[in-house]
Amino acid sequence: MSILLRCTAGPRSACTALCCSLLLTFPVLVAAEKNRHCQESAPLVFGILPFISAEQLVYRFTPLVNYLSENLQVPVRIETAPDFVEFARRTHEETHYDILFTAPHFFTRANQKAGYRLIASVDSPEMWAVIVVPKQSEIHTLQDLEGKRLATVPPLGLATLLARKTLFEAGIDPDVDLDMVITPTHDASLLSSYHGVTDASALMQPPFEAASEKVRDSMRIIARTESTPHIPISVAPWLGEACAAEIAELLVNMGSTPEGKAVLQHNRFTGYRQGDPSVYESLNDLLSR
Amino acid sequence: MHRKSITLFQSLRFRLIASVVSIEIIMLSLLVWNNISIIQATHTDRLRDTATSMIQQIARTSGNYMVAVDYATLEDYLSNIIDYQELSYLVVVDRDEHAVIALGKSPVLPWPVLETHPAQVTDGVFDVSGVITVAGQPMGRVLMGFSLSLMDEAIRKSRTRGISIAAAEIVLTVMVTVLIGLGLTRRLGILAAAAQEVGKGDYSIMIPVEVADEVGRTASAFNYMVTEVSNRTQELEAAESQSRTLLAENRNLVHTSLNVQEEERKHLARELHDELGQCITAIQADAESIRDLSRDCDTRINTSAAAILDVSSHIYEVVHSMMQRLRPGILDDLGLEEALKDALAAWQERNPDTPCRFYVSGDLASLGERINITVYRIVQECLTNITKYAQAGNVTIALTGTADRLILDIKDDGRGMDVSAPRTGLGLIGMRERVEALGGEFALDSSDGEGLSIMISVPLTGEEAQA
Repeated sequence: MSILLRCTAGPRSACTALCCSLLLTFPVLVAAEKNRHCQESAPLVFGILPFISAEQLVYRFTPLVNYLSENLQVPVRIETAPDFVEFARRTHEETHYDILFTAPHFFTRANQKAGYRLIASVDSPEMWAVIVVPKQSEIHTLQDLEGKRLATVPPLGLATLLARKTLFEAGIDPDVDLDMVITPTHDASLLSSYHGVTDASALMQPPFEAASEKVRDSMRIIARTESTPHIPISVAPWLGEACAAEIAELLVNMGSTPEGKAVLQHNRFTGYRQGDPSVYESLNDLLSR
Repeated sequence: MHRKSITLFQSLRFRLIASVVSIEIIMLSLLVWNNISIIQATHTDRLRDTATSMIQQIARTSGNYMVAVDYATLEDYLSNIIDYQELSYLVVVDRDEHAVIALGKSPVLPWPVLETHPAQVTDGVFDVSGVITVAGQPMGRVLMGFSLSLMDEAIRKSRTRGISIAAAEIVLTVMVTVLIGLGLTRRLGILAAAAQEVGKGDYSIMIPVEVADEVGRTASAFNYMVTEVSNRTQELEAAESQSRTLLAENRNLVHTSLNVQEEERKHLARELHDELGQCITAIQADAESIRDLSRDCDTRINTSAAAILDVSSHIYEVVHSMMQRLRPGILDDLGLEEALKDALAAWQERNPDTPCRFYVSGDLASLGERINITVYRIVQECLTNITKYAQAGNVTIALTGTADRLILDIKDDGRGMDVSAPRTGLGLIGMRERVEALGGEFALDSSDGEGLSIMISVPLTGEEAQA
């Protein structure tokens, strides 16, 4: 203000330009200050559950990571693990993942064992697992699966847990009546029955929807499991509150910018919403089985 | 003809071998050099392609492990690759350039300078790098070092093998060339030796034709040539022998003719002396008697007798002159020396402006008639020629008798003659024939404007001297 006051003595145009410059740069300076919360933890590691192949995973989440990196002004890197167990172990035992993108039931464990804090969830209806067979298959009901080979993700995978629960509820003991074939990812599970290696596949509905149209159209859903809350996004306990809030704000407001919309569209997500830890408490029962 | 020794560089064998070996060495050197270049380029390109292929493969397959931070599995996977013989080290670095896997004799920071082709290598290790990506996102780098020792060893072996083959080929070429050269030049040597023998007159030599190649054909042609030369030589020898016989016969005929001529002259001179001379003497005596008797009685008779006396005296002089030319009586009466002095005196009277000096040495008294008349006739012919052609200012005649030879030397300082020019007259030929009939030697030396010299030498064998 003192500068503005003394401008009356100098050339008016020069003073006007200086003042305009200061006014224009102020929001930028504020924004820069705002984006410095995560600088201490740079680079941020974005840990993603290996529910699909690493290639697909990087392809699908690179836009999101780049979006976060550009807006946080810190490098953000994608990391995953060879399998669910290793991912869970790293989540629980290592201070490795700054941001966690994992299955709902894994989040509850991460929260309990490693203190990961929920900051957002995928803003979509609940998700579920499906059991699919090739369209020309003679399997039409869960009972038809008896004695057949069912491909699914590793035992700790949500799709496996949901499918097992559904099978049990249908009177089928998956450990006795079926031949459970473990595949590393949902994609692998789907493709195994598509190619006839197995008779059926159990996988989460989002990966099934994300599969290629050709594969998807040649498969038939014979059962769907109960629903679970959608994917939670949490941050590590060592990440500062301000940084966590900033990340959460970026995610929740992603749909308000064209760039954010493009990222959401790429991920086939409608958006992110504020995380509510209570919705994931029901999953403790699923893990205890 | 004798066989000349040839120098090394004149030797066909040496030049043949040297040419073939030189060409072999040059061409094989170029071939070896070219092969080594190709081998080197092939090996370096192969190593570059191998490195590029391995880098691409590792970079492509390592991405999933890098994203999953599954370094243990990645290391297991890469451990199989590090067994590749040429691979010196393999390092995987993450996005922060931290080495997460280091296999082999891994380099230390700073990382080696990367090369794009083995030809750029200076430290014996071909350092290459590739970016590990997943879905187009960089996840780190893989650095690989390929030792050039195996490649260098392979190149060295190839080079050694190439040089060995080239050397063996050169040795074989030299051996074959030497053998061929020896075979060729040996037969050529036989040809040369045979030619020398033919040159010496041995026409009986025949070269065996072992192989029907160029040399064999040359040998056949040589044999045919020798046969033809032998036949022609025999024919020539026969012709020469016949010519020689004819010449000897002609010479004998000439000699006989000369002897007959001399005998006829001698006989004619004697007849003139004995018959015509006596008659003329009688006529002269009768004419003198008639002249003396008629001096006081009849003048006409006296005059006729005086005329007859004059005519007969003239006839006598003519006859005497003819007798002297036919056969100088002084030669038979006083010997060669006196006869020559007499002839020279007569010639001097006819040629008073050309002084002629006559030198005599040695014993000429015991010379035979044939030698005397020959020398006399030669001197007579020479003086006639000097008068006719020489236009000489001085003439010198030297006659020397030794124990075994008689030497006559006649010189003038006249205009001389071209002794090489063909002669139409028979004077010189007659002189030569006369001398050779006595087994002597006749020599003529002259040139235009420098006088003429004739020298004869006649052997004084007992037979010739007394003949």
